[in-house]
Amino acid sequence: MVSAEITGIGWVTTAGMGCGKDHDRFDTPCGPLPEIAPADVFDKPYPHFGRMDKYSRIGLTAIAFALKDAGLAEWKVKRNIGIIASTVYGCLGTDVDYYDTVMSKKGLGASPALFSYTLPNSFLGEAAIRFGLTGKSFIVNEQVPSGLACLNMSLDSIGCGESKTMLCGVCDLGCPPALGANSNLPPGALFFVIDKSPMKGSSTYGTVSLDRKYRILFRQTEIEDLTMLVRKCLTGYRSRQGKSKTLGIHVQTR
Amino acid sequence: MRRVVITDATTITAPGNNLSELWQGLLAGETAIRPVNRFPLDNYGSKIAACIEDLKPINGHSMIHALLDRLFFEMGPVPPDSFLITATTKAGIDNLETLRRGNSADFQDVLLSSITDIVSQKLGLVGSGINVSASCASSTIAIALGAEMIASGRTEATLICCADLVTEFIFSGFSALKALSPVPCMPFDRGRNGLSLGDGAAALLLMSHSRAKRENRERLGTILGSGITNDATHITAPSKSGRGLIHAIVQALKKAGRKPDEIGAINAHGTGTVYNDIMELNAFKRVFGKRKVPVYSVKGVIGHTLGAAGGIEVILGLKTLSTRIVPPTVGFSDPEDGAKGLVSSEPQQISGGCLLTTNSGFGGVNAALVLGR
Repeated sequence: MVSAEITGIGWVTTAGMGCGKDHDRFDTPCGPLPEIAPADVFDKPYPHFGRMDKYSRIGLTAIAFALKDAGLAEWKVKRNIGIIASTVYGCLGTDVDYYDTVMSKKGLGASPALFSYTLPNSFLGEAAIRFGLTGKSFIVNEQVPSGLACLNMSLDSIGCGESKTMLCGVCDLGCPPALGANSNLPPGALFFVIDKSPMKGSSTYGTVSLDRKYRILFRQTEIEDLTMLVRKCLTGYRSRQGKSKTLGIHVQTR
Repeated sequence: MRRVVITDATTITAPGNNLSELWQGLLAGETAIRPVNRFPLDNYGSKIAACIEDLKPINGHSMIHALLDRLFFEMGPVPPDSFLITATTKAGIDNLETLRRGNSADFQDVLLSSITDIVSQKLGLVGSGINVSASCASSTIAIALGAEMIASGRTEATLICCADLVTEFIFSGFSALKALSPVPCMPFDRGRNGLSLGDGAAALLLMSHSRAKRENRERLGTILGSGITNDATHITAPSKSGRGLIHAIVQALKKAGRKPDEIGAINAHGTGTVYNDIMELNAFKRVFGKRKVPVYSVKGVIGHTLGAAGGIEVILGLKTLSTRIVPPTVGFSDPEDGAKGLVSSEPQQISGGCLLTTNSGFGGVNAALVLGR
């Protein structure tokens, strides 16, 4: 059985954005995602952030908060930390924007800057650069989207000794309105840091593991999707901290 | 850890509808990179790619359906319990073009998971699968994951299927990045000036050695080890030092329990872009030192098939191991610094029982696999 500690959680949802340890609840109400300014996420100016597509910005933001929550946002030497992310629609909105630049002048107006973000794994590269992460990084599209495949594979990666620390999560903006298809998928990004051997004294949410049937367990309960996992993490963390607040969601916005 | 063997494999590329035709085309040194007539090219610097000429969208479906239909013509039976891992960068992106131009097309084909759905239904696979997307290393990573699932005992069989198309979307993007060569690409040549795109798909059936033996399946080769890393330096450009690729190769050799001396040939990513090829030569030099390991690229024949490149190249790597012939690098004549004595425009003999295959891509991704007989 492979197991690891969940040491950090970060998200961007329609309810706001931030680190797990600053929040009591995780929710995805109807509504738009918050506008994200670099100062909301990064201590130092990061002009490049504004040049990214929206999909990359929400993914990178959730990763930044997850690493901050785990105490891993600061670094001097690149680290063997991998990222596996699940998505359904990926960067489809950017694809539409890019192809519109192609059509506008019969190819002459094709935007190289937008084209660079027409791969769903581009934001993983951005996160790798920003946080010095040299482990494996790729996107998974599940036939039955639950986000669990990326957690499963991250635990495998830790189990076989490839990395001691992995980031895994989901990132989606939903279906672009220009394509007309309806989507009941809540937009946003949610990432977890899982660590085989967290630093001594660091606060963790609990142990996540793969059992012999490759089911994902958190505190001995089978997890059905990542939303369920984050909620269990927050509840358990708060009860252990003895600060069972009932203030609702802490929305960190500008 | 259980031994992982490849029991069946098939390809479809511009040089041919099967592996045999592709292999013959490679050995003959014939490029399939030709003028494109799939979309208007007036405003692009390059006008060529390795397209499968008679690939057409049918009844609102993306061309990816036609590509996958043909891919499985020569594939033997796939066990329904095989775990499916597909790999693509853009799936049926031609349908997004159609939709944006105001015509009707199946929206579902645009989603990356559409390939998983199509293959799963076509072959009657019982479980749900996944698609992997990691730019030009997508299928290399898919194979690594499939092999790891078998090695760890999670499953006994995985089917890896990868596919990507030459579309206006992709062609215009690489053109805008000034990454397309106006002539068929020239991997590792001093005069190289960019890549050429290509249509392509591949399927590989991976099995535990014990099950393959039990079912009396042919064993085409073995996946011995894999390594996947990120450069963490740039989104579209490779790390000049090749550090990320070096780490991926070292990781793959370590997992395989092999030393660099045991590698008989290297299938390089070899896109023909200035920076990719020099990065790879730097990485190979660091890992293999002064030893002259034959290095080859197949992209001068089939073009860069993006997410399908790794899968097609693993199958060609197995062919290289079984025939002991390293295919020529078509388009190569004047060696880039560091390529002399490694890359050849003629077929070479392979010594040693293992082959290294590598792919790198946007997002800083590097992936390496060590294959055995």
